[in-house]
Formats: sequence, C-alpha cells, structure tokens
Amino acid sequence: MSAPILSLTDAALSLKANAGTVQILRAISLDVHKGETLGLIGPSGSGKSSLLMLMGGLERATGGRVMALGQDLGTLSEDALARLRRDNVGVVFQSFHLIPTMTALENVATPLELSGAPDAMERAQAQLEAVGLGKRAGHYPAQLSGGEQQRVALARATAPRPALLLADEPTGNLDSTTGAAIIDLLFDLRAQYGATLVLVTHDPALAARCDRVIALRDGQIDVSASSAVKDAI
Amino acid sequence: MSLAIAARLARREMRGGLRGFRVLLGCIVLGVAAIAAVGTVRSSIAAGLASEGAALLGGDAEIELTYRFATQDERAWMQDNALRVSEVVDFRSLAVVPDGQRALTQVKSVDDAYPLLGTVTLDPPMPLGTALTGRDGLPGAVMDPTLMARLGLAAGDTFRLGSQDFALMAALVDEPDNATGGFSLGPRTLVHTGGLADSGLLAPGSLFSTLYRLDVAEDVDLATLQRAAEEDFAASGLSWSDARNGAPRVAQFVERLGAFLVLIGLSGLAVGGVGISAAVRAYLARKTPVIATLRTLGADQSTVRMVYFIQIGAIALLGLVLGVALGAGVPVLLAPLIEGRLPVPARFAFYPGPMIEAAIYGLLTALIFTLWPLARVGEVRAASLFRDGGTAERVLPPISTLILTALLVAVLITLAATFSGNLRLTLWTAGGIAGALILLTLAASGIRVLARLATPLARGRPALRWALAAIRGPGTSAGPVVLSLGLGLSVLAAVGQIDGTLRAAISQDLPERAPSYFFIDLQPDQMPGFMERLDSDTGVSRVQTAPMLRGVVTTINGRPAAEVAPGHWVIEGDRGVTYAATLPEGTVLTDGAWWPEDYDGPPQLSFAAEEAAEMGLKLGDTVTINILGRDITATLTSLREVDFSTAGIGFIMTINPAAVAGAPHSFIATVYAEEAAETAILRDISEAFPNVTGIAVRDAIDRVSGLLAGLASATAWGASATLLTGFLVLIGAAAADQGARVYEAAVLKTLGASRARILASLALRAGLLGAAAGIVALGAGILGGWAVSHFVMETPYRIIWPSALAIVAGGILVTLLAGLAFAWRPLAAKPARVLRARE
Repeated sequence: MSAPILSLTDAALSLKANAGTVQILRAISLDVHKGETLGLIGPSGSGKSSLLMLMGGLERATGGRVMALGQDLGTLSEDALARLRRDNVGVVFQSFHLIPTMTALENVATPLELSGAPDAMERAQAQLEAVGLGKRAGHYPAQLSGGEQQRVALARATAPRPALLLADEPTGNLDSTTGAAIIDLLFDLRAQYGATLVLVTHDPALAARCDRVIALRDGQIDVSASSAVKDAI
Repeated sequence: MSLAIAARLARREMRGGLRGFRVLLGCIVLGVAAIAAVGTVRSSIAAGLASEGAALLGGDAEIELTYRFATQDERAWMQDNALRVSEVVDFRSLAVVPDGQRALTQVKSVDDAYPLLGTVTLDPPMPLGTALTGRDGLPGAVMDPTLMARLGLAAGDTFRLGSQDFALMAALVDEPDNATGGFSLGPRTLVHTGGLADSGLLAPGSLFSTLYRLDVAEDVDLATLQRAAEEDFAASGLSWSDARNGAPRVAQFVERLGAFLVLIGLSGLAVGGVGISAAVRAYLARKTPVIATLRTLGADQSTVRMVYFIQIGAIALLGLVLGVALGAGVPVLLAPLIEGRLPVPARFAFYPGPMIEAAIYGLLTALIFTLWPLARVGEVRAASLFRDGGTAERVLPPISTLILTALLVAVLITLAATFSGNLRLTLWTAGGIAGALILLTLAASGIRVLARLATPLARGRPALRWALAAIRGPGTSAGPVVLSLGLGLSVLAAVGQIDGTLRAAISQDLPERAPSYFFIDLQPDQMPGFMERLDSDTGVSRVQTAPMLRGVVTTINGRPAAEVAPGHWVIEGDRGVTYAATLPEGTVLTDGAWWPEDYDGPPQLSFAAEEAAEMGLKLGDTVTINILGRDITATLTSLREVDFSTAGIGFIMTINPAAVAGAPHSFIATVYAEEAAETAILRDISEAFPNVTGIAVRDAIDRVSGLLAGLASATAWGASATLLTGFLVLIGAAAADQGARVYEAAVLKTLGASRARILASLALRAGLLGAAAGIVALGAGILGGWAVSHFVMETPYRIIWPSALAIVAGGILVTLLAGLAFAWRPLAAKPARVLRARE
C-alpha cells in the first residue's frame, strides 16, 4: 500500500453560531491512499461536506491534524493552502460554482493560469472537448444547462491533472440521467489521470462505485454503517 | 388593486429599516441639498440687494448720462421731483505719484451732497467732506488701499490726476454705493468734482458718466417717476435705475450665476438618478422571491407595483425633506462666515422658493429614474420561485412607462426653464445632460467590447483577465460606474478645458496680437504731438487711431431698438461710434458701398456685419443714434467685418464725417510696442498730455483672467457636488456588487488564487473602469474646450494637459477608493462557508 495522500488524525471542526458553538466533526481519523476512490455517505447534517472541506483546506480543523500530500494543513497560511489546491486539488461542487462573469473556457483555464501554464487556453479547450463541450467554450454559465455547467466544473477541476479530486454531491442538482452521465465522466477522468477521488454522496449505489465507503453520523465515522456499505459492495 | 392592502404590505416590508435604501436616500439628499443651497444663497443675496437697494444705489433713484452733465432743464426737473440731488462723475484716469509711478484708477468725483445714503468709511477715520477739502491748498482725495500700496502712497502724500495735484488724505475702506460699480479696470479714487476743474479730465468729448442720485419723498411712486423722466427726456439717452433694483448688474450677475449653478446641480441630480435607478433595481432584484410569493398568493401586477412604489416613494419623500433641510439649513447656519466673504449684502434665511424648487426637482428626478425599474416588478412571475431566469428581461419597459417618463422629463425641463428664466441655457443643459448620458451609455458598451478584444492580451496574467472578464461579462458594473462617475467628471473636464482655453487665449494668445496700450480721451489738438512721440520711437511697431464718440441706438426703422433686437448687447447702453471719410485701411466690406470721400448728404452708417445679422439689420434700414443728446438718424449703406478677438480698435458703427461735424469728441489710439518700450511710452504720454488715460492691456488681461478664475472656481464647486453624488453611486454599486465579489473570490481561492492576486484583480477592474470614465469625460471636456475655442474665441485649440491628466487620475482614484473600500470582505471570505451557503 502506498503512503496516504490524505491523513486525518482526530480531526475536529466546530463552528460558532448564534446559539453557541456547534460541533460539526469529532475525532475523525482516516487515511486515503493515492489512486484510491473513497465514498463519503451519511444523512444530511452528518458532516460529509465539512469533512471534504477539511481535506481540501477550505476549512481549518479546530482540533486534531489534517495532512494532505505530506503537508500539515493546519500550519499553512491561507495563501499557502490556495497554492496547495492550485497545484494538487480539484474540487467539484453540487452547485457547480462557476464564475458567472467568465465563459466556460475561461472558467476552465483559470486554475491553469494560476499555476502559470503558458498553454492554459489550449489545455482548457482540450479539457472542454474531453467533457463534450468544445463547442460551448464561449458560453457564459447562465447560458448553459445544469448538466453542462457541471461538466464545465468537472473540466475545471481536472484540467490541472490534480492528484486529489474532491467531489461534493456532484449530481445533487441534476436529474438522474444527467447525473449518471456526470458520474461516468467523473470516474473516467479520474481513471484517466490516476487521481485520488473523495466523493460525497447520498446515493449508496453511487458510493458503491468507490473502492471504499465511509459513513458519517453526527460528525463521526459510523463504523457499523461503513462496514454495512462495504459488505453490500 | 387595493391601495390599503398595498400600503399595509409596503409597511410590513419596510420593517427591515433603511437597508438597501441608503444609496437611494443619499443620492436624493445630496442632489436636492446642492440645489437648495445654491438657491438659498441666491435668494439671500437677492433679498440683501433688495433691502439695501437704495443704499447700494446711493439714492432712491439714479439718472445716468454719458459724456455730459445734465442740462439746465434736466437739473430743474430733478430739483422739482426730489428732496435732494447728488451729482457723481465716474471715469478712468491715471494716478501719477511724484516719483513717476502711475496706475490706472476708476475715479469717482462727488459733490457736497454725497453720499445721500450710508456713510463712507475712511482710514484714518474722518468725515468725507473734511478729507476732500484737502490741505495746503491742494484738493483732497481718498483712495482704495490696494492702489495706495501699489503706488507706495500713504495718507499725507500727494499724487496727480490729469494736470491736478491732490493731497491723499485717507484710505477708502468702504463706500456705500460701490456694488453698482460693476466691472472696473482700476481701483477707486474718490475726489470732489470741484477739485477737477483744472485737471483737464472732463473736457468735452472725454469718456465719463454722470450719475444723478435722487432722494425722493416717501410717497413718491418710483415707477411713475421713471415713466415721467423717460417721457420728458425721451431723446436724452438717460439711463434710469432706482431702489427697486439698486444694483441691477450685481443682481443680474448673481441671478445668472445662480441659475447656471442650479443647472449644474441638475446634472448632479441626474447622476443621483443613475444611483436611484441602480439602487431600486438592486432592491427589487433582492425582492424577487417576495414578489414571486406575492404573485403566487394572488397579488395582481398593479398591487405589487404599488407596494414597491409606496416604499420607494416614502424613502424619496424622506430624502426630499432631509435634502431641503440640509441645503437650506447649511447656508443659514454658516451665514456669519459667508456674509463676511461676499462683496454684496445678503440676508440669510429660509426662503420657500428655492426650497420648493429643489424639492420639485428631486421629486421629478426620483420619479423619472424609478419608473423604469418599477415597471419590471410586474414582469416577475410566480414561477420565479421555482426556476431561475424563467423570464427574459425586456430591453424596454412598457410603452405607457416610456410615455410617462417622457412627460415627466418635459415637465422637469419646463420647470427648470421657468425657474432659471433662461430657456436657451436650460435646453442646452438638458441636451448636454441627455447627450452625456447617451454618450456615457455608449462608452460603457464600448468599454465592454474593448475588454473583450483585450482579453487575448491578458494571457498568462490571471488578475488582468479576471478584471477584463468582470468588466465585459454578465452583471458588469461598467454601466453604473461610467455613468455615475463620467457625468461628474465630464462637467469638471469641460470646466477645466474651457477655463484653460479661455485663459490661454486671453493670457497667452491675446498679448501676442493685442496692443500694449489703449489711450483714451486724446483731444484732437493733442493728436500731432501724440503721433510725433510714437513715430520717433523705434520700439513702436504700429499705432492705430480713430475719432470716438459714444452713442445709444434708440430706434431702428422708427421702432424702439429694444423691440427690434430685444436683449442684444449693442443696444444695451452706449456704444462707441467713429467716423471716417474713406474706407479705413484693412477694412473689408461684406455688403453695400462706402460713401464718397466728400459726402455731405443725409447721414449714412456702416455697421458690423455679424452684429447686424444678429439684430436683423439690412442695407437700407434706418438707425437712430443719440450722440451727446442729439438724435442722428442714418441709413445703413454698408456692412463690414469687425474682428474683436485681437483687442484692437473695432467699432460697431461708423458714420460719415459730415453727420457728426461739430460734435465734441476725442480720439482713441492703440499702440503696439515692444515690452521694453512700454514704460517710457506711458510715462511720456501722460507727462505731455495729463488728461489722456493709458490702459495697459496686460493689466486688463490680468483682471479678466482673475474674474474667469472666480467663475471657473464657482462652477467647479458645483461640479464637485455632482462628483460627490457620483462617488456615492459608486459606493452603492460597489456595495451592491460585494456579494458577487465575495462569491467570486471564494471560487478563485478554491481554485488556488492568492489574496494578493484577487486584490490585484479587484484593483485593476476598478482602475480600468475609472480610467475609462475619466477618458470618456475628458473627451467631453475636450469637445467643450474645442467648441469654445473654435466658435467663441476663434483661436486654435490645444488640450490643457494638467486638467486632462487630473481628470483621468481623479477617475482612477475615485473608483479605486470606492472599489477597494469593499475589497476586504472578498479577501477575508472563507471559501467553504461562502460556497456552502450557496448550496
């Protein structure tokens, strides 16, 4: 087994709300290995998306330690975290999060430009073609359907060939047919580039496509549920 | 539709307070306050002038005659109709001190009755009569302290006017009737008319005015008295003023400047209108779910529209009240400070007129700019709750909204014309504002196109590309930024370019073409000696002379001139008239023929072609000119080109010599000389001919430049209010845009962008938009400057670069300030929280 690309040790996350501090995640410990696909499942509010955010350095752990690609995310500054994501992490969201003022091509090119790629536009165009949207490159997000927007988001996440792909319910806003196509595309691209994938989903069938599944409940890993899913696989 | 239900719904919606309405409120308050403030100051000055009209005039009424004293009949009439009469003579002369220094002065010579009203304040304090009596056998004089300082004089010294020495007794600190003086080329010297008897300054043909101030009984009706004077002395060329309008020139100047500044204020309101419109749009966009819910629950279009009309109307009314209170209150509060700086009396108080005027302007502007976005409320469908972008937004609102908006604009322009009393200026201003708004809208579209075209150049520069994407992409703030900032900057740029062009034309171009000196009051027998001195001077390149009389155009083709050419400057007051037997050298006739050299038939007249066309004069018309009380009716037989831009001799009217034979007159001369020779020329001429007054063109240019600077400064202050409103709109646009920027920054951070890069992108988009607004404004300013150069000054135009660069830099600075003030939140945003909130 290769060294873990992600390693969480007693990671915790609590957020301050008006009603007081809310414990989102508690004592999460897990390793994710290079090339592995990991499904995160659990009911709403169980902390799946928050865990994904911790893994991507989009949220800072308030306890424990999160190591990604050999770096302790807790010790990195905001900009260092941004650089880490730029070079190594691709994120796909349920709501796509494309920049509305940029065309599809520009959205895809942005992470490439940030990493200083001289051929950012060409690579972005190629990636759009890889997701079947070569002819929609000049369209703004508002001019694309939900499925198309998510394909642009996938192209954007995968264009820099990241070592780690984080997908947060990527089909949550799509109909089942479109969602299935997006998942096929996600897994194809991951396989093509050999990236590690962490996928948050409500759908046990979708989670079953992953090498491993972890279930969360009330901010903790639900070992029994995780096993159940694994047994089902 | 039920108004009660709409009002109830509106009240519930407004429980959230003024959030979302601050910019709208600020735009109305600022725009209305600026107009109310200008109006209040204008009304305060008008009230001051009206209440002190008699003191300013120096009597209850004044009869002004040019170049002559009143006849026995006229004096008798005045004595019969007034309790007291005072005679004042006003003219220009050179004050000469024993060491040879000399300076132009505006001399006022008075009689024992002066002043009928008010008191003259002297330093050291003494009665005016005592001061003018003089000492050691010399008549006394008092002088403006600035002139004393320039000539190095102190009380007790002597100086000369014409060929008469005077003892300077005191400094003239204040004269009660000074506000009627208008524009004068020299500071005041006050003497007794008796002291001028031997000065040679008031000879027949000399240029002077006599002012007869009348103190009449309280029950005398001034209007009736005026009619009687004008009927009894119809052909005398007298000019009547009275206490009803004691300082007509000042009052007119204040009225015109005030009207102009109010119109500038309207451009501020137009900018505010852009902000109002943007704020209403943003507010209604946020309320789309509420509107859709109301529609789902069964509210019809008109009810929903009324709900928001009531809310916006309530805020607008609050803005009007605050704006009027601020605009009228500040001048009243600052009255002690302002009064001290004003050269005219002012009575600061709350005047309903300007307050109502400002409120009406504000109300109409708010209505005009909210109707369009309000019309969109009706287009929101219930389905918006379930589906984004379900309805495509129409480019134009319904036709009824367009018609109503056009009607309100027409009402606004009509009211502005009525309030300003100047339809032409109002239409030009309205056209200018509309033109500028259209130009700026087109410019905003052009900037988006440019941003698209420039995108390939930003390859490898993410911050620049994001900035360009934000400028050209959907939801761009290019429109509001360029519109709000551009209009204010355009006014400032136009003021800068026009002021700079005028001043350059006056202070740089004019001296190159203009003579060194004008000499006036040259008597015919002095001409040979005068010419001999100048002909012998190698520093003199050219001398032009012409006989000069002064006349008032009274009738044209038998009809009063004021009816034929109302308001034309040629018929307002007296004008120079010259005579010539032959066509003067260099004169170009545009029509008609010059009279024969020995012509002695009925009087013939040659008129300046441009002015004749303006007045509707044509060959064959008869023009009656009153010269020294005598009517001369001449037939117009030729038209000439007259170029006033060189400041040389240029007479509107030239008459054949026989028509004015025997009329006492003087000569005027222009002398073109090297600068080194100028001082000696003035010294020698004034020594040899003490009655002759030399006016240095350079000094006159300095005075005119100073006046222009003051006007430009007043206009720039007006434009600054516009710019301040524009800044407020920018702040509003940046605040409204902040959510989008926070979201964008969160996504960019997720993709790996550093905060420095995001900040650079935010700064670049603000700077680029500011520069664009500045450049568009500069274009408008340059157009204005060119138009003034080309059509008014007829001089070559050159860009005033300091002002131009300041405008562009100002545009960048203002947008950067507004943009970066709202950069902190996007930079500090935690991507996970921002993005999750959108899930």
